[in-house]
Amino acid sequence: MSIVILRIAAALYAGATAAYVLYFARPKHARLATSGAVLLALGFAVHGVAIGVGCAEYGGMEFFTLRGGVVLGIFLAAGAFLAVQRITNLPSLGAFILPFILVALLPALFGTPAHPELAPETVRRPTVTLHIMAATLGDALFMLAFLAAVAYLLQEREVKGKKFGALFPRLPSLEVLDRLVQRLVRAGFVVYSVALVAGTIMATSVWKSAWSWDPRQVLSMLVWLLYGLMVQLRHNGWHGRRFALLNLPGIVLVIGSMLALQVFPGTTRHTGDYGASAPSEVRQ
Amino acid sequence: MSAREVFLVGLSHKTAPIEVRERVALSGDALKSALGELKAMNGVREALVVSTCNRVEVYVQALDDGPAKHFFTSRAPKAGDHLYVKGGVEAVRHLFRVSSSLDSMVLGEQQILGQVKEAYGLASAAEAAGSYFSRLCNRAFATAKRVRTETDIGRGITSMSQVAVELVEKIFGDLKGRGILLAGAGKMGTLSAKALASLGADRILVTNRSAERGQGLAAQVNGHFRDWDELPRLLTEADVVIVSTGAPTYVVTRDMLAKAMKARRHRSICIIDLAVPRNVDPACAGLSDVFAYDVDDMQKVVDSTHEARKGEALRAEAIIEAEVMAFAREREARAALPVLVQLRRRAEAIARAEAERTLATVGAKLDDRGRRSVEAMAQAIVNKLLHGPTVRLKESASGGDGALAGAVAELFGIEANVEPIPRAPRAAPREAAEANGAVPASRAAASSDPT
Repeated sequence: MSIVILRIAAALYAGATAAYVLYFARPKHARLATSGAVLLALGFAVHGVAIGVGCAEYGGMEFFTLRGGVVLGIFLAAGAFLAVQRITNLPSLGAFILPFILVALLPALFGTPAHPELAPETVRRPTVTLHIMAATLGDALFMLAFLAAVAYLLQEREVKGKKFGALFPRLPSLEVLDRLVQRLVRAGFVVYSVALVAGTIMATSVWKSAWSWDPRQVLSMLVWLLYGLMVQLRHNGWHGRRFALLNLPGIVLVIGSMLALQVFPGTTRHTGDYGASAPSEVRQ
Repeated sequence: MSAREVFLVGLSHKTAPIEVRERVALSGDALKSALGELKAMNGVREALVVSTCNRVEVYVQALDDGPAKHFFTSRAPKAGDHLYVKGGVEAVRHLFRVSSSLDSMVLGEQQILGQVKEAYGLASAAEAAGSYFSRLCNRAFATAKRVRTETDIGRGITSMSQVAVELVEKIFGDLKGRGILLAGAGKMGTLSAKALASLGADRILVTNRSAERGQGLAAQVNGHFRDWDELPRLLTEADVVIVSTGAPTYVVTRDMLAKAMKARRHRSICIIDLAVPRNVDPACAGLSDVFAYDVDDMQKVVDSTHEARKGEALRAEAIIEAEVMAFAREREARAALPVLVQLRRRAEAIARAEAERTLATVGAKLDDRGRRSVEAMAQAIVNKLLHGPTVRLKESASGGDGALAGAVAELFGIEANVEPIPRAPRAAPREAAEANGAVPASRAAASSDPT
């Protein structure tokens, strides 16, 4: 059932993508941007329902898989973009972010969701919920920061390279994009820190050790350190192109840490070993 | 037979890169002496030089385009590859288009008309422009005014200063908390600084070699004046720098800016160089966090942002075409005038002689009032007799037909000096002059303008 609702959400996202892309091509038609925002908001709401229904169906255990993480991450990214839109009103960025949201969601629309068999008491721990939600929101914000950084780099190429092509009049100013990247990085870092603290608390209580060289732990720590470094460098005056470029290794690490769930099913304990019950096979 | 007509030789942002334009651009006294040189050249009767940051055009009324070409090739041998040459009606049309801002980098911008007016003012002050350019330029100004009022070409981005605003907006968004530095007292720079102030800049700093002029400028743009020597330090204070001095060299060098960037801790800086010759070393654009633009770069911005006014440009072209034709016809009508003047002069001489003869015989019986009546009667007969022919001659000449003027000259045995006129498609002035039958080449060339 949840997958059907998710497909409806994806259709709405597709509509929003089309509207934002058309708006980008024809910026005079401001209505396209409004339609895009409305469709995105509708898609976001339906997506929320799909996740809720999914929780009822699988007891929340789907979030321990890559697919579940992506579905949740896209949901949070869509929400974050809606929030960014409300604060900054930069509809032209929709043409960058929406296609990504749509493409990333596509693989999740087919087949039956896989989920590990976990003990309900593990899943329902508030620290786990906080850990998963915060980590996924952090990833979503880093992803948005990366896309905004791409927009920055493209616009910088136009402005500094004196190209003044189609992107120049359409994309926001460098200053606005730079500040947006910075804010998203900072917000992502704060949220990600919360996730790491919650994760550490969990690990200490369940695995009896805060640090166990789990591949997911290692990659997440690298993500946290890199984005922490970016926040610090920004404080020291780094900005513009150099700051935007740091988002490239950043996003590689973020994606790597997410894939770690899938790539190292045997080595990472993040896919199911939560102490309370015996680790189990991923069930289709 | 050779006769003088108007020739234009020029180069503009469309044909020549800034490197070439800056070599031939002139202003002030240099321009005045160049006008003097042109005027002194063999065969040149009148000359006009329009020199702006986007174009340098030399208009001459001469036997050929040689003197105008020499103006360019003597200054920059390379300029020869970028020149356009027009003669007669083509040259007239070009001047009308330029004045109406149809040939401008920013279509419909308003400054070019002022610049052409200034060029004409300078040429007539230097006595290089005479009656021909006076009429030509006045017609060009009237045409520009018509284009402005009858079309919407002036809507949207219509000035370099607006382009500057557009650029700065794409870099900084707004200018809250930032500073603008205006270096030099160029007109474009001043306008740009004023326009940029609309983005909410905190402070405007002005620097200029001449302190007096700089202070005046500072008052004009609501800014603070700083000494010219402080320029390197000012580069660390301002985020947008507009440079438009008359200096022939770079006033902002790469080294100077690199040092400033270090002191700024690499906060972004936007430098707009509106001067031709350029005042900012092009190598500055290569520094990181530096956004540097010259006049040609601004053109690219315009190309990316204006489409809408092209339809208006077509309407403007129609107006210009009508004005060019009207100007050519007017010239032809004037060409008929020498015949008329001679005819009237001869008739008046006859009337005066006859009146005197009459008065010599019967004058003694008349009082003063009676004498004046006789003279007035003779004059009235001349006026009444010539009224019809005058009107018809003017009409036929303005319709492009010079034959009637020729016939009148022939009939009354008048030798009329006919001024050569721009070649219009509908009229062949030299043929008309030849049809008048009486003008040897040397005299036609030496004749003064009929009005």
